Amino acid sequence: MRAQLFVTCMVDLFRPRAGVAAVELLERRGVEVEFPGGQSCCGQFAYNAGHQGQAAAMARQLVRAFEDGATDGPPAEHPPVIALSGSCAAMIKHEMPELLERDALRRGRTQATATRWRRRAEALADRVVELSEWLDSQDTESSAGIEATGAEPGRSTPLKVANHTGCHMRRLLGITESPLRVLRRAGAEPIELTDAEQCCGFGGSFGLLEPDISAAMADAKLANLAAARRDGATCLVSSDLGCLMQLGGRLSRNGEEFPMLHLAEAVDLADRRRLTPGEIECAAHSQEADPDAR
Amino acid sequence: MPGELPPAGATWSERRRRALADPAMRAAVAKSTRSLADKKEAAFAAYPAGEAMRKRAVIARRGSLARLDTLLDELTRQIEARGGHVSRAAGPADVGRYVLDVARQRGVGRVVKSKSMATEEIALNEQLEEAGLHVRETDLGEYIIQLAGERPAHILVPASHKTRQQVRTLFDEEATRCAVSPPTGDATAELTAFARRQLREDFLAADMGISGGNFLVAETGTLVLITNEGNGRMTTSLPRVHIAVVGIDKIVATWMDLHDLLQQPALSGTGQRLSTYTTFITGPRREGELDGPEEFHLVLLDNGRHELLGSEFEDVLACIRCGACLNVCPVFRTIGGQAYGSMYSGPIGVVLTPLLGGLDRAPELPKSACALCYACADACPMEIELPRHILALRRTEIERSMEPWTVRLTFELWGRFWANPAGFRFTGRMARLGQRIYMRDGRLQGAPGLVGGWTATRDAPPLARESFHEWWRRRRRASRAGT
Repeated sequence: MRAQLFVTCMVDLFRPRAGVAAVELLERRGVEVEFPGGQSCCGQFAYNAGHQGQAAAMARQLVRAFEDGATDGPPAEHPPVIALSGSCAAMIKHEMPELLERDALRRGRTQATATRWRRRAEALADRVVELSEWLDSQDTESSAGIEATGAEPGRSTPLKVANHTGCHMRRLLGITESPLRVLRRAGAEPIELTDAEQCCGFGGSFGLLEPDISAAMADAKLANLAAARRDGATCLVSSDLGCLMQLGGRLSRNGEEFPMLHLAEAVDLADRRRLTPGEIECAAHSQEADPDAR
Repeated sequence: MPGELPPAGATWSERRRRALADPAMRAAVAKSTRSLADKKEAAFAAYPAGEAMRKRAVIARRGSLARLDTLLDELTRQIEARGGHVSRAAGPADVGRYVLDVARQRGVGRVVKSKSMATEEIALNEQLEEAGLHVRETDLGEYIIQLAGERPAHILVPASHKTRQQVRTLFDEEATRCAVSPPTGDATAELTAFARRQLREDFLAADMGISGGNFLVAETGTLVLITNEGNGRMTTSLPRVHIAVVGIDKIVATWMDLHDLLQQPALSGTGQRLSTYTTFITGPRREGELDGPEEFHLVLLDNGRHELLGSEFEDVLACIRCGACLNVCPVFRTIGGQAYGSMYSGPIGVVLTPLLGGLDRAPELPKSACALCYACADACPMEIELPRHILALRRTEIERSMEPWTVRLTFELWGRFWANPAGFRFTGRMARLGQRIYMRDGRLQGAPGLVGGWTATRDAPPLARESFHEWWRRRRRASRAGT
């Protein structure tokens, strides 16, 4: 099967390794991965900050990028768009159709044009699927050629990993169990944090406008992470890089360290039977795209 | 025209600073909100009928709003037919004038009040005290807040940010002022015993009782009060005169609507099936009755509500003031209610404060007091789309140019570059060069502009040497060269 990859601007710029890991784990599952080069950002940051004109400009570009060479023929044959962020997937599915229609009207376009933009955004929204949800659905139907993975060979007890599901993934996409099932299938034992449903404080523009409140929220989450560490968690895994940057950045400012991985990286390590404390540490420290460039 | 709310008191940065520097308050708020949120969840889980009722209640509330004016007329006719008086108030001054007129005519000196957000909204206590009346709050939480000279920090549990020790200190001071014996200790029972003794005297001496109202039933002209302490009953039945000040949004058409609504504030607010006391008041004391006030007045408060009808914000008028959105809000849990500078705090306050008091009064709330986590949207029993409203208010601020020009320019340029692939890649390369200036030990620190907000409290990883876009192109070139 074919699939298009939406890496998100943050993974592209800050953690390309998560994108590389996604390509590898998808190819391992027999997926022909396409990466539309026109993609940049879903526009969520600008949208949530109230700058709808700028958000719409980015959103239109994203719609165009994924239409390119992928939407000829009947809709059933359009490839899924696998997103490496629950939050960006939610932006597309939850906000983009309305945003593009409203913005077209705001710019003085006809209702017909505005409706066309809404339809194009809806077509993209229908194709978007968050990575853990995709893995969850695929691996249930068939093991897709991957043997039951596991951590290192010979390890008897599963490796404990803490999981953090972002707010938009949890509430707007309604995904709570998929990352846990995917991690279990990868041979890990996911631990949900106390107050798992509380926001990490990232919040897009909120986190930049209110650094002190945002950091206090991160500290509350980090206190619960510390409890998970005492219970044996070896790293924190999330399907949203934004949350990881918030928690990792705050942890680092507090003078502490703890490995944090995007779900794609954790699954890729497990696929290669490298989901071990040592390899996790290594992967978390090297942020470069090319794993050989450590 | 929006309505009028009391001023915020201090600037946002000052309120925020005070909140973050008060660990005792923050711990108390975190504890009480979590407990209330857990109780709500448990209450609905144990009571499936409550959920079906909640869904009907939403329809009842929305339906009532759709014909608000008709229902208000019906309500007025019903109350007047039973010997009550009804007055419409556009804003705070109208209510103050009306209440003071009645007080003068009836020779009122002492007033007792039961908990009411509407009277907080119009700062009624201040208006009455300025005119020389003695006003006593009789809800335990409100009594504590009144002694502390504060505003309620939570819609439902106004003093939940106070510790028992702090309450004891307030009661000790009050005992000294009144020359009575102080509480015997800081156990809950000892503190409530003191309040009970003090308030009993106030109830007996009062000439006028002022209440709010949880609902108004149009078909019979009935005021519905829900309390847990019984003080609402004393306030509305002991004094000679009872005045209820109620927002026009509290109206429902029929008792069937009320049936579906009645349990909702308790279920979502405190996790009870029903509050301890439910009081129905239909007019003043009738001939042959032994209890009740000689006069009953209802003041219907607009204060910016009517203007919301038919707007994209209409559903906020369906709010039943249960506080469920506050209890799940991570920002509220972090800064507490006082920081909002409004009697309406938490997510509903972020929306209601600018809608009722004007965006200029609280421009900081939509952008600074919300992380857009959507927890409130899930929690609201009346299905008010709070995050959607917060986004709309943020957009309005941008459209009205309430942002600094530097921020505006940043977004302009950002949008322009990132809306095309070459621009996106170009900014990535530029940022990679630029970040060298701010690198300390492999982490970004002290960066300028919007990014500076990030690095103020968090480290940022540097941009990767090779972006995913670059990696993909290099890989494709390599595979082409290989085949």
